[in-house]
Amino acid sequence: MTARRRLVPYGLLGPGAIWLALFFVVPMYFMGELALRTGTFTEGFQSGFEVSNFSDALSGNTTQFVRSFVYAGTATLIALLIAYPLAYAIALRAGRWKLLLLFAVVAPFFTTYLIRTIAWKTILADESPVVSVLQALQLVPEDGRVLATGGAVIAGLTYNFLPFMILPIYASLERMDTSLIEAGKDLYASATQTFLRVTLPITAPGIVAGILLTFIPAVGDYINAEILGGTGTSMIGNVIQSLYLEQRNYPEAAALSFMMMVAILGVVLIYLRLAGTGAFMGDEEERG
Amino acid sequence: MRVVLMALVAMAASLVLAACGGDDDVGGGSDQEVEVAEPGPPVEGEFNISNWVGYIDKGEGSTIEEFEAKYPGTTVNYTEDVNDNADFFGKLQPLLDQGESGGRSMFVVTDWMAKQMYDLGYLQEIDYADVPNVDANLKESLRSPAFDPERKFSIPWQSGMTGLLVNQALAPDIKSINDLFDPQYKGKVTVLTEMRDVVPLMMKADGVDPEDATKEDWLEQIDQLQEAVDSGQLRRFTGNDYIQDLTNENVVGVIGWSGDIALVENDDVEFVMPTDGCVLWSDNMVIPVGAPNTAAALAWADFVYDPKVQADISDYVRYVSPVQGIEEVNPTLAKDPLVNPPEEFTADCTTQPDPPGSAEDVQEVTEAFQAVVTQ
Repeated sequence: MTARRRLVPYGLLGPGAIWLALFFVVPMYFMGELALRTGTFTEGFQSGFEVSNFSDALSGNTTQFVRSFVYAGTATLIALLIAYPLAYAIALRAGRWKLLLLFAVVAPFFTTYLIRTIAWKTILADESPVVSVLQALQLVPEDGRVLATGGAVIAGLTYNFLPFMILPIYASLERMDTSLIEAGKDLYASATQTFLRVTLPITAPGIVAGILLTFIPAVGDYINAEILGGTGTSMIGNVIQSLYLEQRNYPEAAALSFMMMVAILGVVLIYLRLAGTGAFMGDEEERG
Repeated sequence: MRVVLMALVAMAASLVLAACGGDDDVGGGSDQEVEVAEPGPPVEGEFNISNWVGYIDKGEGSTIEEFEAKYPGTTVNYTEDVNDNADFFGKLQPLLDQGESGGRSMFVVTDWMAKQMYDLGYLQEIDYADVPNVDANLKESLRSPAFDPERKFSIPWQSGMTGLLVNQALAPDIKSINDLFDPQYKGKVTVLTEMRDVVPLMMKADGVDPEDATKEDWLEQIDQLQEAVDSGQLRRFTGNDYIQDLTNENVVGVIGWSGDIALVENDDVEFVMPTDGCVLWSDNMVIPVGAPNTAAALAWADFVYDPKVQADISDYVRYVSPVQGIEEVNPTLAKDPLVNPPEEFTADCTTQPDPPGSAEDVQEVTEAFQAVVTQ
């Protein structure tokens, strides 16, 4: 092996590594440093080692912390339940409609995130047909509402991140060898058994990727709670926004952001551990 | 390849060094001396102004085009990127702290925010000799506000009243701020995220004069707000996105800003002066530190204080005009109580106050209010 060839992997890693160093590691350092500063905005925040910023930031905001994970978790679950059958239909049953359906999944991205979310205010307005139907079905009380509730926030999160769930699942279904399903049938497995023991394990990497791509942005989101939420539906993103812009408590805002990131990282690591990194990587060995 | 990599590494290293080197305070304001904005002539070149949404007609033959016609060689970049005082401050503060304005020659913020920016050394002062129209036509009642008694750093763009916007078909009984808390309107009313509007209005309804209020009075009203949140009475806290909720009839009554009535597309919705009075405020043109082309900024402020120009602006926005003399240009407009409120209409109103006490006291009240908003 020549020296040149040994350098190739580093060369390939280089741009990404430098990008991460500049735009992730350096800002992280500043955020961490800011989270430990003391003082007030008017007098300036001096360098320090004020660990209590972390406990202060957490103490008043545990409800919002838990709520963020509950909302994002619920939205991810609903998105999975919607996305899997849809991806399955597109990948294996759509025939010549495949491209058109895929386009329909991606089409909302041609409009900005904010506009799409505001559009939901009209869909879920108190006097809207959608809400009338829900009331007729007694899913929403007669004098109840959907907009400006936690339900609306979860609906918004589900809608906005659904394509991130559909696309990876679609990709894994698409490249699946369908003769495996036939093999399952040849071996007298029922449709359910075939699905559970053949299709589902093969598409596990897509599911794991979809869950990560949906959950992580959803848990830190603040737009949906801001626009579709009411009182008592704030997520941690809204608290950070308030701490930074309204209360100008930069250290506590940084501390809260930091803790949020660590919490997400923790949840993701536990999850990957349970799901197995092999599933994420699409490792043939681990699937057995 | 290797050269590119090395250059990138060097760039990264210098960025890290530059960033770690300065052990400056974050926040705390600028130590520079206050400058006075430099006037023209010549008035030419690019002029960047940031204003709130819907505060000028940007269509054909607009005020902006008239200004460009009056000063050939001037290009106005009018951006509607002020949505919220605190948000705008948060976005700009790191720049202003370095003595820069992000290319803006002028922007428009509310009284209390203008005062905070000035105290932090982020604004330039204005010599009234450079803006003769303002000197001549600024309404008497606005010449000496508490936050800027000599109008050294602020010129009102438009003024307004914070009161009630009510759907008269669905809730004709809402006349006082207290009526918003009537259980029959549960989940159908909203209040603003702007503490300096909401808390003083609630005080007035409870018979407390906001100008003599103590910190405890502020905190007590915030507790009451908390109760209204807990009971489900309040639907949400809003900026002027209540416009959509009023249009769709998701809400029947809100605490809102007078001129927004022009933007609500529902004929049943009207501005109601609360029986206990309103809160008065102005959004002010200010010239930030490091502003390019202050000559154009001063010329612009002077231009919009020409009653003829102001009448066009007023006709479009329906906020309270700070300029006297529009009645001669447009007598019908001058009869609109939202544009030119007679003295008896605003008799019970209060100028928007700050919470009393030291910076720490204000911080305490702000935190208490924000804790209610971000539940």
